[in-house]
Amino acid sequence: MNQIANSRLSRNKLALILIGIPVLGGAWWAFRPEKLFINEKVNEAAPFVADTEAQPVYTGKLEGKIHQTSGRATIYKSADGKHYLRLTDFMTANGPDVHVVLVRAEDKALEQEIVKGELDHVELGSLKGNQGDQNYDLPAGVDLNQYQAVAIYCERFHAVFGVARLEKF
Amino acid sequence: MVRTVKTGLVIAVLAVAFSLQARLHAQDDMKQDGMKQDEMKHDKMQDDKMTHESMAKTLFTGKFHGKVHATSGRATVYQEADGKLVLRLTNFKTSNGPDVHVILVATKDAGDDANFLKNNTERVELGKLKGNEGDQNYEIPAGTDLAKFRTVSVYCERFNANFGAAPLEKF
Repeated sequence: MNQIANSRLSRNKLALILIGIPVLGGAWWAFRPEKLFINEKVNEAAPFVADTEAQPVYTGKLEGKIHQTSGRATIYKSADGKHYLRLTDFMTANGPDVHVVLVRAEDKALEQEIVKGELDHVELGSLKGNQGDQNYDLPAGVDLNQYQAVAIYCERFHAVFGVARLEKF
Repeated sequence: MVRTVKTGLVIAVLAVAFSLQARLHAQDDMKQDGMKQDEMKHDKMQDDKMTHESMAKTLFTGKFHGKVHATSGRATVYQEADGKLVLRLTNFKTSNGPDVHVILVATKDAGDDANFLKNNTERVELGKLKGNEGDQNYEIPAGTDLAKFRTVSVYCERFNANFGAAPLEKF
């Protein structure tokens, strides 16, 4: 009696093992849970750009509804360490005394059509043209961590024509 | 006893069938690209002889988003001087997973865990994800219409789940 019970128990165990192992194996293969804890880090170099060329460091899309503004603002770092802003596919409304400035991205004043008081900004220069690609030098030592947005700003009327919030390239 | 064995067998068969099915789907998508990839290899061999003197043009760029599988970074499409298209991921990070691929999909954007198989979304295979962290490059097959395939997706082929997507915008 006892022996039969024993052998039944061991047969059950054997069956469990025979079936359990492939099931566990299949589940492991499908889910690969160990990958949750293992990182595969790679660091490929860009296959083309030479060191001597300017590299984009920040980019953002220009937006402005009332004074229709569109295009892309990109800040490049040239090989000599200087930064410059380049506007591409650019278009804005023409206006009097329009400037390109760096502003604080979180500045509440940017949400208003007309800025009340003074806008905290870094001057980059008068807008060269209201359409087309153009470059502006950034003053040396400007803190791009603080001024993370580009604005097209009409100084005469304190009107924000368009803003591009910069993101790391 | 017999019942236990039967139940066990059924579970085992299901597990195997499930694994095979996932693998089949993965292969389906790869087949079409096989030819293209061969062509690409030829291209590459020719390229290696040429010097990369002129600068690559930046065509498109976009930021990855994906909360469920914590995906972040930037995807940028470059066109090399010889016209070849390259996708480069920078500051890139995603969760590691089984059978993860980099693909282009014919949508404007894609949400977390989007299933492109179920949604019948057209896609272009760029290759297996080389690493879940760090900068990496992928060749885009010649003739890929980037006006149509506008989103980069880090896609888990086994479970048909989008880990993260980067909608491409003109640079």
